[in-house]
Amino acid sequence: MNFNNLEKIGQKELDRQGKYKRRIFCCTSTACLSAGAGQVHTSLDQSVEACRCDEHEAEVVKTGCMGLCSSGPLVRVEEKEKDPILYGNITSELAQQLVSRHVPIGEIDDELEEGDQDLSVTPHDMLHYRASLKKAGKKSDLDKNIISLDHPFFSKQVKVVLNETGIVNPDKLEDYLAHGGYQALAHVLENMTPEEVCDEILESELRGRGGAGFPTGMKWNFVRKEGAEDKFVIVNGDEGDPGAYMDRTVMEDDPHRVLEGMIICAYAVGASAGYLYIRGEYPIAINRIRKAIRDARRRKILGKSVLGTDFMFNADVRIGAGAFVCGEETALIHSVEGKRGMPRMRPPYPSTSGLWEAPTVINNVETMANVPSIINNGADWYASIGTEKSKGTKVFALAGHLRNTGLIEVPMGITLREIVYEIGGGIPENRGFKAAQTGGPSGGCIPEEYLDSPVDYESLNKLGSIMGSGGLVIIDDTTKMPDFANYFMEFCVDESCGKCLPCRVGTVQIGKLLDKLIAGDGSQEDIEQLENLCETVKTTSLCGLGQSAPNPVLSTLKYFRNEYDELVQQAQTADSGLN
Amino acid sequence: MVELTIDGKKIQTNPGTTVLEAALANNIDIPRLCHHPELSVSGGCRLCIVNVDGYSNPTPSCGLTCQDGMAIETQNEELLKSRREIIDLFISEHPLDCVTCDKSGTCLLQKYAYEFDITKTSHEFEISKPIYQDDNPFFIRDHQYCILCGRCVRVCDEVVGAKAIDFAGRGFECHIATPFDDPLKDSTCVFCGNCIQVCPTAALTPVSRMGKGREWELDRLKTICGYCGVGCQIEYALKDGKIIYAQSTPDAPVNGEFLCTKGRFGWDFATAPERLTSPMLRRDVAYELGLTSENWELPQKSPLAVRKPKVEDSHIPIDWDTALDLAARKLSENVKEYGPDSIMGLASARCTNEENYIFQKFFRLGIGTNNLDHCARL
Repeated sequence: MNFNNLEKIGQKELDRQGKYKRRIFCCTSTACLSAGAGQVHTSLDQSVEACRCDEHEAEVVKTGCMGLCSSGPLVRVEEKEKDPILYGNITSELAQQLVSRHVPIGEIDDELEEGDQDLSVTPHDMLHYRASLKKAGKKSDLDKNIISLDHPFFSKQVKVVLNETGIVNPDKLEDYLAHGGYQALAHVLENMTPEEVCDEILESELRGRGGAGFPTGMKWNFVRKEGAEDKFVIVNGDEGDPGAYMDRTVMEDDPHRVLEGMIICAYAVGASAGYLYIRGEYPIAINRIRKAIRDARRRKILGKSVLGTDFMFNADVRIGAGAFVCGEETALIHSVEGKRGMPRMRPPYPSTSGLWEAPTVINNVETMANVPSIINNGADWYASIGTEKSKGTKVFALAGHLRNTGLIEVPMGITLREIVYEIGGGIPENRGFKAAQTGGPSGGCIPEEYLDSPVDYESLNKLGSIMGSGGLVIIDDTTKMPDFANYFMEFCVDESCGKCLPCRVGTVQIGKLLDKLIAGDGSQEDIEQLENLCETVKTTSLCGLGQSAPNPVLSTLKYFRNEYDELVQQAQTADSGLN
Repeated sequence: MVELTIDGKKIQTNPGTTVLEAALANNIDIPRLCHHPELSVSGGCRLCIVNVDGYSNPTPSCGLTCQDGMAIETQNEELLKSRREIIDLFISEHPLDCVTCDKSGTCLLQKYAYEFDITKTSHEFEISKPIYQDDNPFFIRDHQYCILCGRCVRVCDEVVGAKAIDFAGRGFECHIATPFDDPLKDSTCVFCGNCIQVCPTAALTPVSRMGKGREWELDRLKTICGYCGVGCQIEYALKDGKIIYAQSTPDAPVNGEFLCTKGRFGWDFATAPERLTSPMLRRDVAYELGLTSENWELPQKSPLAVRKPKVEDSHIPIDWDTALDLAARKLSENVKEYGPDSIMGLASARCTNEENYIFQKFFRLGIGTNNLDHCARL
């Protein structure tokens, strides 16, 4: 065991960070980057430089998602002995003002130094901002951008998976170590047998976060008990639900946590190689995970001798080519093998015959990211969060008609009402709530009367929806449900792989019926046919994609049947008008 | 042995058998399209679904391994409804051209549409793959009839090993294609035509067969392929005594259902005018024997230099008895006069092992020489 070295590196990084009087965190997750966080980060960096202050006055840190993506780019300032301040909607210019507000300005000569002209921010600008700040009596435009951290959006959340996102620099292994990273792995390798690890996970009652909710500990035990020489671990990062980006965020903002979970899993099941399957549309996640793997290899966290023990594990990245169906485990395995990503019949399940017919654990990114916390804090701690059958927390990508949208982590069992009206801040422009759509194209719509039902696997299933990977779209009363269902059906038509008939042709025919109804040419018989067809596709499709493809239609037919009936009535009145 | 019940019938079977195999072995028929006994399991057509006690959804029996104590139901109202709906969906993208279709009578989709009494789809009809490819002289790929069972892909991969075709495109646009949809001749295709053999519909049809007659009008003739010593069994389909296509049958002892490109497509010699149908005797020898009135002179030039010699000019047809008598006489004369080693035997690889054995026996014992060779001796 040579974890002491790593601990020392972490301590050194912690000491280094402690020397700074203030640290300015700039979110560089995809959502904020697309809102301009790249320029903001450069601007922050240059502004601090332009202040000409002592080097330990301030440090600009590239970090991960802070949650409130709708207000991106987000910047958080943490000063010693002061409460942190979160700023939203920061532009490059606001970034300069922000620095001038928080960072003291050192000696600045009247004459600019050589090279200063080339900078977008000069020390003179900083002086100027400081002067205008004084003039305004410390009141500044920036005050409007401050987001209260006491807001329910933050206070209602419980962070396990997202514990370090927004705090650590995802590109720095040292930063992760400074925040207690790889301690769980060290503990597992030193003090636990593989069996104990599996039992610990089993006791924590962690369930797969990919959507189906299979007990993770049980899955690991299946693979552990297999006698095969080669075993594999696959982390499923092929997140494809429209509007969902939980796994992307975890991979982008805390790649080492995913890696740590994966190595612990490999130790527990006896695997010596693993793959992280990441969809090609996530270039930042791919780069950061790759860097994390390189760094981990350099520090002997991966390789022939993990942390100096006999345990060997290597990880590699496989990039998806943009097929939704590759999130299905058997299709994913085919894709990793270099074949066309098409699902196959189960059994045999991957735990007996998976990648190259070897026993394989496939877990979602979020599931793996839960593992280090469970090891560090114990199974009992984890099992104390959540409901009776669904333990722990769940990350949701909150989207749709809400005041606050973004990434949230909530304990299982929280009600939809809390999510919508407290965390989400309610529906804007005082419009009414219509439905909450969970689980993306495989999920269903939950109407207002069930807003108080708890969010856990069983309750959502009972309502005709699924937990899914964590997409949560809130719809207000301006949306027509048949249109909404049609959108998801179009998605499934595009993403069907073509292997089994009900999904390949059935989804197309469901789409045609919906089009017909929406165009006002439908009849009651069409609705009945739609229901029948949905039932056939649901019961006879080969994989999860097809089996759940009719869910948006079935759940809207169940709860918003009146809207479909209205479409038919409109069609009939239009007909009689013509006659 | 594994014991399970299928439709209330107690069945014992070997471990590893699928429910479909067990059912078929016990005369319980389950409809199926993508399943083929010689190929791996696909599970894509969803027609062979059965109810298993304890399973929430119906499961395809083709990929379900028999387990002790399993209780299977292959027929009930719900299953029939699902199967009917599946056939209905199949024909919502498959033109019902059965009245003119060459496959009519042996088409599996037609068979099941008939069994489920479906005359037209209850859905909106749309052809998903209006592609017609006649890029090779052997067979036509008419994708509108393709039901994407994937049998051709599997036979190409698992039996032939050519891997020339695979699924391309997604969902409704999914079709069977060569890499980059290039013509078949530019792919790794060896034109063995085993894909035609396993195709359940008219998506793959031999060119020679197009428009030549209905399946039930054809005579069948089983024979052994003469191309090599393997001895594959071929079944020729004949119309008015002429071969219109060749195929194999599952009961063929050597080759099962599969043939190579020569066996499947190389049969046009059968009716070629150049084909020899009786023994021929050189005309000058026949003249000496008094079998013909016209003499003929062996050309001075090499036979290779003579352009297209006509066999009727140089030879006359004789019956087998005369031919054999003559050969026996000439051989024994030569052995007597010049000794057994003056004669050499050359055997053909197109003969069977048994024929080659008898041939060498005849030479070693009958003639008494070891001067023997074979065209496959490399």
